[in-house]
Amino acid sequence: MNPIITAFANGIKKSGVELSNMVLVSDIPFEPEIIKELGVDFFHITRGRAIAFGTGLKLGNPDLKIVAFIGDLMTLGGNHLVHSGRRNMEMLVICVNNFVYREIAGTPAPSVSPGFSAFSTFEKPFNAPHLANSCGAVFTARWTALHTNDLTNSIANALDKRGFSVIEVLSPGPNFYKDINQIDSELLDFYYKNSVTKNNEDTRNVEITPGEKIITGEFTDKEKPTFIDTYNAQLSKILGDKFIPHGGQSGGD
Amino acid sequence: MKANPRDVNTGTYYMDGDVAAGHGALAAGCRFIGGYPITPSTEAAETFARIAPKAGAVFIQMEDELGSIASVMGASWSGVKTMTITSGPGYSLMMEIIGLGAMIEAPFVILNIQRGGPSTGVPTKTGQADMMQSRWGSHGDYEIIAISPDSPQELFDYTIKAFNLSEKYRCPVMIMSDECVGHMSEKVVIPPAEEIEIEPRRFYNGPKEKYLPFKPDQDLVPKMVKAGDGYNLYITGLVHDERGYPITNQKEKGKRQQFPTRRLVDKIRLNADKIIELNEEGMDDAEVVVVSYGISYRVAIRGIEKAREKGIKVGNLRLITVWPFPDKKITELASKVKAFVVPEINYGQIVFEVERCSHGQANVVLIPHGGAGVHNPDDIAEAIEYAVKEKKKIRKVIEWKTRLEKFVFEGGYKLNK
Repeated sequence: MNPIITAFANGIKKSGVELSNMVLVSDIPFEPEIIKELGVDFFHITRGRAIAFGTGLKLGNPDLKIVAFIGDLMTLGGNHLVHSGRRNMEMLVICVNNFVYREIAGTPAPSVSPGFSAFSTFEKPFNAPHLANSCGAVFTARWTALHTNDLTNSIANALDKRGFSVIEVLSPGPNFYKDINQIDSELLDFYYKNSVTKNNEDTRNVEITPGEKIITGEFTDKEKPTFIDTYNAQLSKILGDKFIPHGGQSGGD
Repeated sequence: MKANPRDVNTGTYYMDGDVAAGHGALAAGCRFIGGYPITPSTEAAETFARIAPKAGAVFIQMEDELGSIASVMGASWSGVKTMTITSGPGYSLMMEIIGLGAMIEAPFVILNIQRGGPSTGVPTKTGQADMMQSRWGSHGDYEIIAISPDSPQELFDYTIKAFNLSEKYRCPVMIMSDECVGHMSEKVVIPPAEEIEIEPRRFYNGPKEKYLPFKPDQDLVPKMVKAGDGYNLYITGLVHDERGYPITNQKEKGKRQQFPTRRLVDKIRLNADKIIELNEEGMDDAEVVVVSYGISYRVAIRGIEKAREKGIKVGNLRLITVWPFPDKKITELASKVKAFVVPEINYGQIVFEVERCSHGQANVVLIPHGGAGVHNPDDIAEAIEYAVKEKKKIRKVIEWKTRLEKFVFEGGYKLNK
């Protein structure tokens, strides 16, 4: 987790985002020291609901910059991911993918590839960047936690984008994972050595398959009106002068 | 503080309860509703969605009820007043996150227009069977406030009151109405803004570095700030200290874990007398007291009239606030009266609270109803008559056999021996 936080801190610095406007929502409890260091507001909430919680924050105060750090993006959080992509709800989602549930030894997440869990899961995993891209995300990327510079750049790029952005970060599993799978501490190194960067690759081709190179890079980068843009446009059209546009960068209250 | 004239559509209307609740929410200063449509509550959300954009408020139709309630939590901490609207199945889905709301002390309101259950039940007809769920639905210890309006006018008035209570005590407030009231059309008077009293958020305005998000005031409720105001908030669903940081130290955990939740419970229990609103009538010489809430109260009025025509002295106690439960009031009455009669549209929920508080001093009669309709006032009158005549102390809740039950079940199911 720590290299990801470092990349995140550097990413914020690199982007032009005001720190005081930034709110982190996560289903993973962070160390209070990290939040103190980062100087942002932090909400640790129920599993998988960070995107929905962030939606409320954003619509309650459109000036906020929302970042959702999610472990449980594609299971409990699946529906929120799909629909926020469709709406183009303005926020950055960082999916920390270590293929297992942290506190439940050896339980495979739906992002795990066959051969990676206690009894070798046989289910087909999600291809997170492709899922996000298909749902309408304006920015998708995947890096391993060791690609610190690339990850920093992608986080800065995504923070500067208006719209729904998803970055998948492959991170080493916790101790449970190692014990059960007998994968030693070189897992991270394994990721790094076995990955190849292909920017702008079609997300259909970036599935993680055992025995093949993991494809990293920035895959999607497009412009689309955000939820608040379309909300303001639609209601102004119908209500005319009676409508009070929803504020922030997008509306101008 | 008075309501903002922009939020109040002053006038005299003929509207249904759901619509009145939508107007009430806006008048109360609600700026965000995340909702998911469900019969019979949809009109409330629809009304808010229609009038909100003209007042600078937002409605979003979320992907599901879990998303709705989670977005409401977020909006609440962004600094605005917020609410969601639902009915039975949606309410069940929201339960986990209601617990989060209690834990992070986000002020929010849920309007539950109850319908017949369980499961899909009777979507278009009434029920009062979610009363215990609102109290105990999420896991762990916490307290909520629940109020039960009985008319469209009250759905307007008490929606405002619900917002005021949620801001004052920073806890979930449930408006436990039902399909009958939600879909009933009556005269509703929306007063001018200057006649509507609203409770502002308890914002902290001391020095930034001294702010502790969970340090309570005298009344056990802490002050709040907005996310994004540079307070370096750390808000978590884990058991936390006054700074908001999770209590992770194993040694401290055993000692301190119970205290944060103790306050969540006590801030409602110790303030119960200020929160509880009751309506009583004919209590002075009453031999029997009818305890009811919501639509059952309106039906009970007729039943009581019929019993009084026969010369029986009946008191009428209406629970406007159902949670926290008026323990003191019921216990006090129990020592004076022969019996309580409780008509409710379920097979026994609030009646057991009445029995608990009566401590065996008075008999307790339940008039059950399976939902999808309201009681027959004759049943209520007859149950009152029985309760007055019953000489024995009966050490259990007496279940009154209603006409409907006798007709449908021929006096109830029996197990084959």
